[in-house]
Amino acid sequence: MQSVVEFDNVGLRYGTGAETLTDLSFTLYPGSFYFLTGASGAGKTSLLKLLYLAHRPSRGAIRMFGHDAITLPRDRLPGFRRRIGVVFQDFRLVPHLSTFDNIALPLRIAGIQEKDLKSPVTEMLDWIGLTERADARPATLSGGEQQRVAIARAVIGRPEMLVADEPTGNVDPEMARRLLQLFAALNKLGTTVVVATHDIHLLQEIDGAQMMRLDKGRLSDPTGSLRHPPRPLVLKN
Amino acid sequence: MLLDFALPAHDRKLIPEGRLSGPMPWVIAIMLFLTLLIAAMGLSLAYAIRNGGDDLALQATAQIIEPDPIERATQKVAVSRILRELPEIAAANSVPDVEVRNLLKPWLGNDVIDADIPVPALIDIRFKSVPDGAAVRALKRRLETIAPKIRIDSHSSWMAPFFDLMSSLILLTLAIFLLLLIATSAVVILAVRSTLNTHRGTIEIMHMMGGTDLQAARLFQRRVALDALLGGVVGFGAAATVILTLGGRIAAVEPALLAEASLPWYGWLILAIIPLAVMGLAMLMARWTVVSALKKML
Repeated sequence: MQSVVEFDNVGLRYGTGAETLTDLSFTLYPGSFYFLTGASGAGKTSLLKLLYLAHRPSRGAIRMFGHDAITLPRDRLPGFRRRIGVVFQDFRLVPHLSTFDNIALPLRIAGIQEKDLKSPVTEMLDWIGLTERADARPATLSGGEQQRVAIARAVIGRPEMLVADEPTGNVDPEMARRLLQLFAALNKLGTTVVVATHDIHLLQEIDGAQMMRLDKGRLSDPTGSLRHPPRPLVLKN
Repeated sequence: MLLDFALPAHDRKLIPEGRLSGPMPWVIAIMLFLTLLIAAMGLSLAYAIRNGGDDLALQATAQIIEPDPIERATQKVAVSRILRELPEIAAANSVPDVEVRNLLKPWLGNDVIDADIPVPALIDIRFKSVPDGAAVRALKRRLETIAPKIRIDSHSSWMAPFFDLMSSLILLTLAIFLLLLIATSAVVILAVRSTLNTHRGTIEIMHMMGGTDLQAARLFQRRVALDALLGGVVGFGAAATVILTLGGRIAAVEPALLAEASLPWYGWLILAIIPLAVMGLAMLMARWTVVSALKKML
């Protein structure tokens, strides 16, 4: 099976400090669902940054979508990034854009025509329950609403891989469940999903999801997901 | 690059455009106002030198310095007649004695000039083409057979230091013009860097979503182009008002050489092109600044 991401002995260090991530070796397969857990400061966000190509590692090798991501020329990065959806922990919505425009941003960057993006954006707004707030600026939205917009923005382009950093941290349990259903639906369509979370209950929501645990920058593998191909995914009712 | 200017409405929202509310259009307006004034000065000087210089180089004055008034008058008539017959001479006009005495009055005073003192007889000569020194000397030798004490002064020779000064002033205006363009470019670079810092978050998000450097650069180019366009209109309007006002006053001034220092029609064309060129330069600098800055990001 062709992998989506392969890490081989990857290390990451910021400046001259100690390594934040050490000796990471794992493979993510298409259509798999992974939870990334670990204590605060374990390196979850740093690992996600490597996954969404915001950083290059200090050592080791990364292959992404079948290409060497370390030696990838800078001008080819945008093409790869368009294949990855990202939900940032701090949402990072564009403050002067409306909810509609924030969600439509990835499609516009990809060059989708205006006539072709209104329908999917409207559908997405409806799905996250923010149709009435389509013209609202992020500053006027609650934390939970902002998070839903950030998730909608990440998934609207049907990315091949979705990377989410604490995507349910600011929403109520019902909305968290709905968002996970959205991730699971995307996953069924073939998107590889990586969700970093503290919420241990989320791990029980999706049967077949695999867990990656980071501890002080090192990866442990309690479910064996990194050694065995993924099982078919079942969302618990 | 012009196509980059025409961004869709939704892309324009990514970097808010402040129009005339920000300092940038006003700074560009002031820089352009100064640039246009200095350009107009340089163009006017060049036009004056070319027109006035060519005209003066064709002219010379013959002085017949003969104390005997009857002999002087005879020689004046004879020299004028010969000059008119020469093929290289376009015109030879005797200056009336009254006019010569009037010219000398400010220096010699009315009492002296009204007395019967001898003043040289003057003949204005206009050549068909600009004569060199040898041609002027040959003409003098020929006329000395009729008027032995004749002197011929070529206007270009005594105006040479003045034209040297004018040429130096043109070089100075060119240097100031270039310095102002460099300063305008620096202002644009600083403004773009400042805007880039303000909107770094937006640009980073665009990058993470697969936006290219050129997509980001186009946003800044458009913003800078609009600022430069608005600044250009204001700067050109102010400069044109000053140039027209001064032009009217210069035209009324004697000597005629100063009056030549007006802006020719093609000068206005060049002045109109400068704001557009500055707008293009500003867009280029914005693109270069943004792409250079973004290359430091992954």
